[in-house]
Amino acid sequence: MSSFSNEEENEVILDVRNLEVSFSTDNGIIKAVDNISFQIPRGKTLGIVGESGSGKSVTSLAIMRLIQEPVGKITSGEIWFDSPTLKRKINLAKATPQEMREIRGKDIAMVFQEPMTSLNPVYTCGNQVMEAILLHENVTKKEAYDKTIELFKKVRLPRPKKMFNSYPHEISGGQKQRVMISMALSCNPRLLIADEPTTALDVTVQAAILDLLQILHEDKDVSIIFITHDLGVIAEIADDVMVMYHGRMMEKDDVWNIFDNPQHPYTKGLLACRPRLDVQMRVLPVIDDFMEVTEDDSIIEKANHKYASVGEALLLNFVTEDEVEERNRELAQKPPILEVKKLKKYFPIRKGLFQKRPAPIKAVDDVSFQVYPGETIGLVGESGSGKTTLGRTIMRLIEPTGGSIIFENERINDFKGKNMRKLRRDMQIIFQDPYSSLNPRITIGDAILEPMRLHGILANNRQRKDRVIELLETVSLKPEHYNRYPHEFSGGQRQRVVIARTLSLNPKFIICDESVSALDVSVQAQVLNLLNELKDKFNLTYIFISHDLSVVKFMSDRLIVMNQGKIVESDYADNIYDNPKEEYTKKLIEAIPKGTLEDIRKAQLRRRLGKEKKNNNSAT
Amino acid sequence: MSQCNSPKKEYMIGFILRRLGYGIMVVLGVVFVVFFLFHVLPGDPVGVLVGEHGSKEVRENITKDLGLDKSLPVQFAYYLNDLSPISVHTDSKAHQEKYKYFTLLPMGKRTLVVKYPYLRRSYRTNKKVSEILMENIGATLVLAVVSMFFATLIGIVFGIFAALNQNTFVDYSLVTISVLGISTPSFVMAITISVIFGYYLKDYTGLSHIGSLWETSVEGTTLKLKNLILPATTLALRPLAIIVQLTRSSMLDVMSQDYIRTARAKGLLFYRVVAKHALKNALNPVITAVSGWLASLMAGTFFIEYVFDWKGLGYTIIKAVEDRDLPIIMGTTIFIACIFVVINILVDILYSTIDPRIKLK
Repeated sequence: MSSFSNEEENEVILDVRNLEVSFSTDNGIIKAVDNISFQIPRGKTLGIVGESGSGKSVTSLAIMRLIQEPVGKITSGEIWFDSPTLKRKINLAKATPQEMREIRGKDIAMVFQEPMTSLNPVYTCGNQVMEAILLHENVTKKEAYDKTIELFKKVRLPRPKKMFNSYPHEISGGQKQRVMISMALSCNPRLLIADEPTTALDVTVQAAILDLLQILHEDKDVSIIFITHDLGVIAEIADDVMVMYHGRMMEKDDVWNIFDNPQHPYTKGLLACRPRLDVQMRVLPVIDDFMEVTEDDSIIEKANHKYASVGEALLLNFVTEDEVEERNRELAQKPPILEVKKLKKYFPIRKGLFQKRPAPIKAVDDVSFQVYPGETIGLVGESGSGKTTLGRTIMRLIEPTGGSIIFENERINDFKGKNMRKLRRDMQIIFQDPYSSLNPRITIGDAILEPMRLHGILANNRQRKDRVIELLETVSLKPEHYNRYPHEFSGGQRQRVVIARTLSLNPKFIICDESVSALDVSVQAQVLNLLNELKDKFNLTYIFISHDLSVVKFMSDRLIVMNQGKIVESDYADNIYDNPKEEYTKKLIEAIPKGTLEDIRKAQLRRRLGKEKKNNNSAT
Repeated sequence: MSQCNSPKKEYMIGFILRRLGYGIMVVLGVVFVVFFLFHVLPGDPVGVLVGEHGSKEVRENITKDLGLDKSLPVQFAYYLNDLSPISVHTDSKAHQEKYKYFTLLPMGKRTLVVKYPYLRRSYRTNKKVSEILMENIGATLVLAVVSMFFATLIGIVFGIFAALNQNTFVDYSLVTISVLGISTPSFVMAITISVIFGYYLKDYTGLSHIGSLWETSVEGTTLKLKNLILPATTLALRPLAIIVQLTRSSMLDVMSQDYIRTARAKGLLFYRVVAKHALKNALNPVITAVSGWLASLMAGTFFIEYVFDWKGLGYTIIKAVEDRDLPIIMGTTIFIACIFVVINILVDILYSTIDPRIKLK
């Protein structure tokens, strides 16, 4: 071990050597994890970053030996773990089921991505946490109960005794994740594996959970493997970072170096393609600007690369303030294309037998705003803020309770029949999930052609077919994709198909409802760029709905922040970010992990201070 | 815990009352449909009673006696009045004898009374329908409950077993056998089983190919549980096959859920993961199937009862339809409708106790 730090700090608790995991599929054997090696010292946090299919989750499941056998299995490599329970080092790759059961939940615990589905719906939260304690520790039911309540307090769940008897569906997503964390910590594990623990949560909740993990990390002395696709989150929490792509390790270094001076082109691309809050960019850099995959399947830096570094990528795309102002002035000159006046949408709640009629849920509550032609309005808010309901009510996919929607100087609230069909053509929507918004039994060509036929656009199917092929090319797909089915495409490609389908009707106005939220960052950047290109090409006007403030900021001229059905604040995007007026907006902006070097410095300092404080405490 | 339960209990009572209300509507609907359907169908109950050679006078007397001379709506009104627990009757000794009522409110010659629902007497035997029901329901109930109990128990076990060994020889064989079980008609199954085990293999099995739960001989009536084996097995096969399939697919679905992975990550023994975390989640579709089958088995199963000569409800109903014996048909139908209503309420309550996400409404 190195001489400059003390012995305890460098004690390695997990040593993964040349790990290889394969899955047998219909298309042959696929290596999900390919020759991965890393070590985790005691009390340190390793962040594993990667996009979907990078093998990051499989790596963690391999450590827990929870890979679905016999479809997937560890084909080679060793996972050496220093187990306190077995009081020896053990190679987990070769451990018996009996040994694994003793280690799982006790020495190595796991927090999963989806708190909504990771707790068993038919048992109370308390029962599920207590189960782990009763299993691994020699305690009575009463002691286990007390310990559970204690843990609930530690993870800052409100009213712990009531929580104990609550079922998972009765509490919020953030609370569920706290229950999961308390379950993971219940037996004082030496290693905690957190697999995208905050991905499904709102930013403010995410910030709270990350905070909690930090604190627990500081005073429990547990090592953490933190898996995520979000570099911003990694910056806040990790000591070391490993970047994975297609099952292989691209780069491993301490967090500072990764952000300050990334070596691998993939890391560079990943860092550059995230939309940023601090600068307004014209086009998002994409990963392909930095790297390419050669024929023998190795990844190299692009020969004549567009950008030499992440910083250069930003500089070349910077939009000046003057340009922004100029554009804003221009936009406001035309009369608005859409005007929403005092729009309301209430959902009544069913009355109970012995109760008074409860107040309805006000999903959209007295909302008014205008959209000018050619502009993009960003609609941002946390889950339950009513942003999606607002979008759908504007399109009259949901009937409004009150107020007016005026589109091109006509009140569309009472449109029927022919008028409505015309409106459907002019106003289109792109949904969040490209997987479920395409019918799996219809070829993508037909899917794009169908709306044209229904609305009688173009004279005959041959002309329409030509148009479909033109549209496919517009969204960077190929004409030969016409006869393929949705399952043959990736998420990003599917979203392109959906966009082409939307464009087939020549709409004037498109609502993008979380249209890139289900996509990986690198794909997200491509789709966002595409949407911007199309906007200029076809003179479109967008309402862009998202929970992700940085994405919305990149896309929008003006922003509307929503909370509990009401507009909290609306202004030009830069103004909102630079000086938010409302408390809620400030909170929202602060909660976003930005992944700047400044933040990393702060996070590292805080961790060191926390450690020192703890050491001092234990010394006295 | 108590503070958790109290609002639930309140819901429960409200729920049961409301569902019983709906249930009464359902039963009334059934009464209406069956009553009028019966009169649309060709055939003549009086003819059946009197035979071909009865005189005109006798026929008229019987017609009048049975109240068949009145118009259909009037007949229906009288029937409902007999059926209703609160009804109006002319106050007389004979009626008191017939209905065994308690007077609530005398109204001149008539009186408002409370009584047990009166299901009338069989046209053919003049026996009280309620007595006929009581005599036959026992055998049907035993047969239905026993066969469903074994079908459920074995079905769930096999289903889990198949699911946990998905895509293996065991799984394929169980699925194939269960498809066979589902697709074989019950009378074919009944005859085959009866002939093989009750006749050819009689010496080994010691079972009789026919026989009821109670057997009357010179020494009196004796309980013959042995006679239950063959009809119950036959009856259980189809539900068993379906329960195996349902449990299997439901378990496969649940086993791929995230919370199963969570349970395994805790270090639980595999059988605990299956028994505690998976099974409870997988049960709902199975309960739906079991309750449906149970209710319809209680309605009697004619073929099985016929083949095994098992004196139960199904046998009685078929007989009554042949004889055009309206009171028995009405009585048994109402009874079966009530069973369906009650079982459905019980099942909904069971759902909500198994899965806390389901609220009683």
